[in-house]
Amino acid sequence: MLTLSSISKSFPGVKALDQVHLDVRAGEIHALVGENGAGKSTLTKTIAGVYQPDEGQIEYDGEIVHWTSPGEAKSAGIHVIYQEFVLFPHLSVAENIFLGHERRGAFGLIDYPQTDRDARELLQRLGVEIDPNDRVSELTVADQQMVEIAKALVHKVKLLILDEPTAVISGHEVELLFKRLRALKEDGVAIIYISHRLEEIFEICDRVTVMKDGHYVDSKNVADIDRDQLISLMVGRDMSELFPPRVGEAKFGDVVLRTNNLSVNGRVTNASIELRAGEITALAGMVGAGRTELALGIFGGLPMSSGSVEIDGETFTEMKPALAIKKGLGLVTEDRKGQGLAMQLDVAANITASDLDAVAKYGLINTIRELQIARDEIREYQIACRGPRNPVATMSGGNQQKVIVARWARTCSKVLILDEPTRGVDVGAKVEIYRIMRELAAKGIAILMISSELPEVVGMSDRVIVMREGVVTGELSKDQLSEEAIMQLATRHEAA
Amino acid sequence: MQQAVQSKSMSSDTNSKKLSDFGARYGIHLALLGLIVLSSIVSPAFLTANNVSNMLLQAAPLGIVVIGQAFVILVRGLDLSVASVMATAAVVATSFDGQPGDVVPIILVALAIGVATGLANGLLVAKRNVSPFLATLATMIVLQGIRFAYTGGAPSGNVPHFFRIIGSETVYGLPYNVIILAIIAAFFWVLLHKSVFGRQVYITGGNPSVARLVGMNADRVIIICYVISGTLAAIAGLVLSGFVGIVDNWVGRGMELDSIVAAVMGGIALSGGRGTIVGGLIGAAILVVVFNAVLLFGMPVQFQIIIKGIVIVIAAAFYVKRGA
Repeated sequence: MLTLSSISKSFPGVKALDQVHLDVRAGEIHALVGENGAGKSTLTKTIAGVYQPDEGQIEYDGEIVHWTSPGEAKSAGIHVIYQEFVLFPHLSVAENIFLGHERRGAFGLIDYPQTDRDARELLQRLGVEIDPNDRVSELTVADQQMVEIAKALVHKVKLLILDEPTAVISGHEVELLFKRLRALKEDGVAIIYISHRLEEIFEICDRVTVMKDGHYVDSKNVADIDRDQLISLMVGRDMSELFPPRVGEAKFGDVVLRTNNLSVNGRVTNASIELRAGEITALAGMVGAGRTELALGIFGGLPMSSGSVEIDGETFTEMKPALAIKKGLGLVTEDRKGQGLAMQLDVAANITASDLDAVAKYGLINTIRELQIARDEIREYQIACRGPRNPVATMSGGNQQKVIVARWARTCSKVLILDEPTRGVDVGAKVEIYRIMRELAAKGIAILMISSELPEVVGMSDRVIVMREGVVTGELSKDQLSEEAIMQLATRHEAA
Repeated sequence: MQQAVQSKSMSSDTNSKKLSDFGARYGIHLALLGLIVLSSIVSPAFLTANNVSNMLLQAAPLGIVVIGQAFVILVRGLDLSVASVMATAAVVATSFDGQPGDVVPIILVALAIGVATGLANGLLVAKRNVSPFLATLATMIVLQGIRFAYTGGAPSGNVPHFFRIIGSETVYGLPYNVIILAIIAAFFWVLLHKSVFGRQVYITGGNPSVARLVGMNADRVIIICYVISGTLAAIAGLVLSGFVGIVDNWVGRGMELDSIVAAVMGGIALSGGRGTIVGGLIGAAILVVVFNAVLLFGMPVQFQIIIKGIVIVIAAAFYVKRGA
């Protein structure tokens, strides 16, 4: 049905896929698993014609294909349902289903009665009761998902790819989804199912392919393996050489920051964590587990809905970034472009942004002082750029990241939170960032590192806090630390 | 082979990038220079002291408004209320008896109108998340209504002599209003390019989330930018009333769009966070030169409007987009 052989795909600075194989048969549900950043999304986008592979070949339906656009893959019967639905909330269900393939009548105008009839029939085939005239915005998320699947049926789908379909629905709705997927499977549709909820894979999938760091690891019949074996396939690898050893002996000081039952509206529930001076604490968990929101709650980027933050014994029930900075906190955000850098501005302006007072007198910026600070930081962190006046937009991801780290390392005196500090940066910059974290910790700063990369968590941290679905599910000390243990906490089966 | 092709296309990429960098940076300067050269070749009257002085007189009110508009656009906004503020300030200026003692109260009242309008705009945009277009459109209309109610439809009175001098006379050939523009431009140049507040403007405009996360009060920065724009519009209104001499309800009409066009032509990105005061002023100068040239070339006044449209199209299609 679909065979990918030796597919490779590179983006500037990263090899996203390296010699990946995948073999999907008609009438099977094939799980695709791997940690965040393993290359699952890139692979599905390659299958769907969004990306063209640099190497390797795709054989689909008995032919070797070279799709140049998603449209070609779509007309060949491949349909992808992304985590974010591609629906137009203000249009009706029927209009959404036939979007781009409108049923036409006289004069090329849309034939609404026909649209309505066809939509009804498709929804019936799926066995769902949705009125095609309802607006999509009025539907539940589960029903919206059904509309997405109905869209796939318009095109005589042969291969359906679902990216984390159960991330947005729960319990009963999941059961209904599975029922419909099984029905599609009976019809001979091949399904690629991406999920990090491993128990679902054992429930519904026939085979599983494991990916790691853009590499193909293995394919197995689901019946032949158990959960622990699957986890070890997903994590097994040694990356310890990347991580610089701690300088000297570990000496942790007092607790400098503590959250007491901190909640952030709907995203974090009653989180209580402690950070100690000189300690690198990792905050692990799956994407969407509420880690970023917890960090923003501590820093004042998002309002706390309840609970408090205690910094050096002082309790705050409200926090603003300006106050957090004054109290010695720093936050390296996950989203460099969105929340980290003013891209049009230069290196110097971005470095000094969080502490303009240090370079100003009487409200005027002392340019000489600013440039001097920027030059020092560029040297200290080996930021590759043409100088302090280089706009950050033209720099590589790793160097941009170092600019942000330099900014906060300079101004934070107690706690530095780094959210996915090495995402999208090359190996060299990674090692550099690890080194900086070690140095700051040695200076007595408490480090909280949010990371989805398990080897990084294991290699760098002195202690790990794990979150799942907004709740802190456990804590692991250095000697309890393993990728498997973290995975167990991060994906723990819902108490049914 | 493939690699060779790639590296070749890369190097031509960097070359064209350098070219477009240069274009983005100095294109506007060259355009102004070209216009001046062209105009002076076609019409000998263009570069006479008299005409230059005349152009400067016309340029001053627009230039003052553009400076305020620049601050607003830098924080991802735009200010449609400036012309309405100008007219209201001008109407106030004439509604007194024209006695010398009226000058100070007139200035205070005009500034108060500008500050209040800017404050309203800024609060709506920053605190209520109203789109800048709607917020400033609304204050524009409200001010217009207040003005009509105040004047009863027909403004009367005289422009005090003081404003006549400021608006239309020269010292050593240099118009007073240009001196005012120069002082204002110098002050706001320092504020924008040298001060902590100016840096906050750039960071807020470039990326509001970053501004908040590095502890800046982005809302306050946005509000202050609108207040600057309103205040400068009020000053421009007084200067313009002195230039025109008589005042009707529509002094400064069209200035809201002219100032936005000038700012954008001058390289101030509507997406925020990029542009300079000098750029905005050069944009304003281009508009004034174009208007002047139309008249000198003996074309009917109506052509000003057509040519203005064409200039905008050229700027938007060939210059602004590349810069952005």
